Amino acid sequence: MKPQFDRPMMRRVAVLLLGAGVCAGAAALACADDASFASVATLSNASGEDIYSRICQGCHMPHGEGAVGAGHYPKLAGSITLASWQYVALTVLAGRNGMPAFSAAADQVWDGPTVHLSDAQVADVVNYVRSHFGNSYKDRVTASQVAMLPHPAIAAAP
Amino acid sequence: MDNDAGSSSLSRRQLLRMIGITAGNAAMYQAMSSLGFAAESPYRGPIDLQGTPPGASVLILGAGMAGMSAAYELRNAGYQVQVLEFNGRPGGRNWSLRGGDSYTELGGFTQRCQFDQDLYINPGPWRIPYHHRGMLHYCKTLGVPLEAFVQVNYNAYLHSSQGFGGKPQRYREVKADYQGHVAELLAKATRQNALDASVSKEDREKLLESLRNWGALDRNFAYVASGSSADRRGYKKKPGGGLTGRPIPSEPVALSELLDSRLWSDIAAGDSYDWQSALMQPVGGMGRVGEAFGRELGPLIRYNARVVDIRQDIHGVTASYEDTGKPGSRVTARADWCLCTIPLPILAQIPMNVGPAMAAAIAAVPYASAVKVGLQFKRRFWEEDEHIYGGITYTDLPIANIGYPSSGYHSPGKGVLLGAYIWGVHAMEFTSMTPDERVQKAVDYGNQIHPQYRAEFDNGVAVAWHRAPFAMGCYGMWSSDTRARHYDDLCQIDQRILLAGEHASFIGGWQEGAVTSALDAVQRLHQRVLAQGSKA
Repeated sequence: MKPQFDRPMMRRVAVLLLGAGVCAGAAALACADDASFASVATLSNASGEDIYSRICQGCHMPHGEGAVGAGHYPKLAGSITLASWQYVALTVLAGRNGMPAFSAAADQVWDGPTVHLSDAQVADVVNYVRSHFGNSYKDRVTASQVAMLPHPAIAAAP
Repeated sequence: MDNDAGSSSLSRRQLLRMIGITAGNAAMYQAMSSLGFAAESPYRGPIDLQGTPPGASVLILGAGMAGMSAAYELRNAGYQVQVLEFNGRPGGRNWSLRGGDSYTELGGFTQRCQFDQDLYINPGPWRIPYHHRGMLHYCKTLGVPLEAFVQVNYNAYLHSSQGFGGKPQRYREVKADYQGHVAELLAKATRQNALDASVSKEDREKLLESLRNWGALDRNFAYVASGSSADRRGYKKKPGGGLTGRPIPSEPVALSELLDSRLWSDIAAGDSYDWQSALMQPVGGMGRVGEAFGRELGPLIRYNARVVDIRQDIHGVTASYEDTGKPGSRVTARADWCLCTIPLPILAQIPMNVGPAMAAAIAAVPYASAVKVGLQFKRRFWEEDEHIYGGITYTDLPIANIGYPSSGYHSPGKGVLLGAYIWGVHAMEFTSMTPDERVQKAVDYGNQIHPQYRAEFDNGVAVAWHRAPFAMGCYGMWSSDTRARHYDDLCQIDQRILLAGEHASFIGGWQEGAVTSALDAVQRLHQRVLAQGSKA
């Protein structure tokens, strides 16, 4: 039995290989007609800004301000934690607590498809958060640097 | 299943027992899953806890389905029970948003639901299958009336933005045509002796007869416009009375167009065990269950309590919490034992002195992203214009589902439907928007299926579960790997603390997972209490 919150239609959830530029099956056209869904879903080089504003800001908020409820989403704005690009990149790669691992192949996060970011995209989004929201770290991270970090699971092409 | 002792082969149960003994429960579960009978709720009827030592106490964190079902049973067994709840209401993810309700999500966006009286959406769970006996038991016990939830509606749509020119197709037609074409092909292969290696001569005729029946084929085993195919897919001109009533069959769609459209991918949705009829919903919204539990437990629940620290020692457990009405305040609650149902992303951030195994398990479970949008329209056009009464339309658009209300048919005035029910990356993208943007997007996309949307739209609300302050995600996503490494550690009692919730179940994301997890936990806890005797 697939674990499901009231059982979503998994067959309808697009497998998105952002780095490969694949928007699986029928969803490709679905998102292609809408700019607001096109950026992440169909561009092979979705920028760090695109990835942040379409995915990360759901939790970390539009200006990296984070949020507090029963728990909290860490603030990225003016955060000294971001001084270590490795810390940020590892968090994106491996996830942290409720945050999923964005480097993992779909079946390694869950039995259903989820989002997979390439090393280049991880580098882009790390560079983006470290140079926005009041952060001005000058060192730029490259895909090959990200590739050398431990990945929680080898992302096999599903 | 166990009655084949005389047979030389192992029964499935014997085999599973061996797997369980030699390879552990996770491996056994995997085998059970692949054999297809682990999914049933383990609920075995009301539990009976006897012999509670006088004065024994349990502190329960979280007043959702797990916390409140546990509190109910432990109270009835004689425990002193106290429940701490972050929200100002009982239920947790069991929740209905109704007209007049206000909801502030993380990030500070506040929505005021402007639905008319008696109209609602369930941002979380919205249906209870017939085999979720734990949930059904509590609905019955608490006097929560149920009504039918329409899961499969043959007159709702399957929609593909690329198939059939983007025009939604009735489920009835897609199912009938797919089944008819497949039956025709199989009949053809059978009659050309292509299946002789697999089908015996005696079975051949039976198979052909069954295919004609199953696929609505004609006497020549062809799927064509006919009385029998029209009986499945519907008519070009419906049968009626008198001189105008002579029916005309409708024309099936060609197989290649059907395959190209990929609409077949949702045909079997209602065949899934979780979605098989009958399904039910509480009259007035799923939130009625949580509200009923809340009334039942009354003063045992302390609301607006944000737990900030959980500390156990050899005598008991102390939770520190903030009264959210008085920011910065610190209050403590203490009991012999603690049953914690706080969702894992939140619990992972609360200091708690449990062992490394449980701590690692708590941190190992990412939470799913999901979004629901409720839309109020000026009239129930889906019933009036399109004759859709309940059920679900599936689409490859980012909104994924449109759910029609299973109650209030033909009500005059406004109506509310579920305008989007989204998972995966599209849910993340919707989560990243403001609530107003989510509602607007749901209207824009839905308009491609129901052109009445633009003119009839009235107002809407949108709940993105990662922005829910009390949940920080929809439910725990276990992979087979994390399940094998961490699940048992998550569920074991750690000295005086144990966990429950859908995340501590094999029915993840369902309320039944929360309830059965809680019942499993309180029974193990009770055994531990009895074993410790007066030392408790």
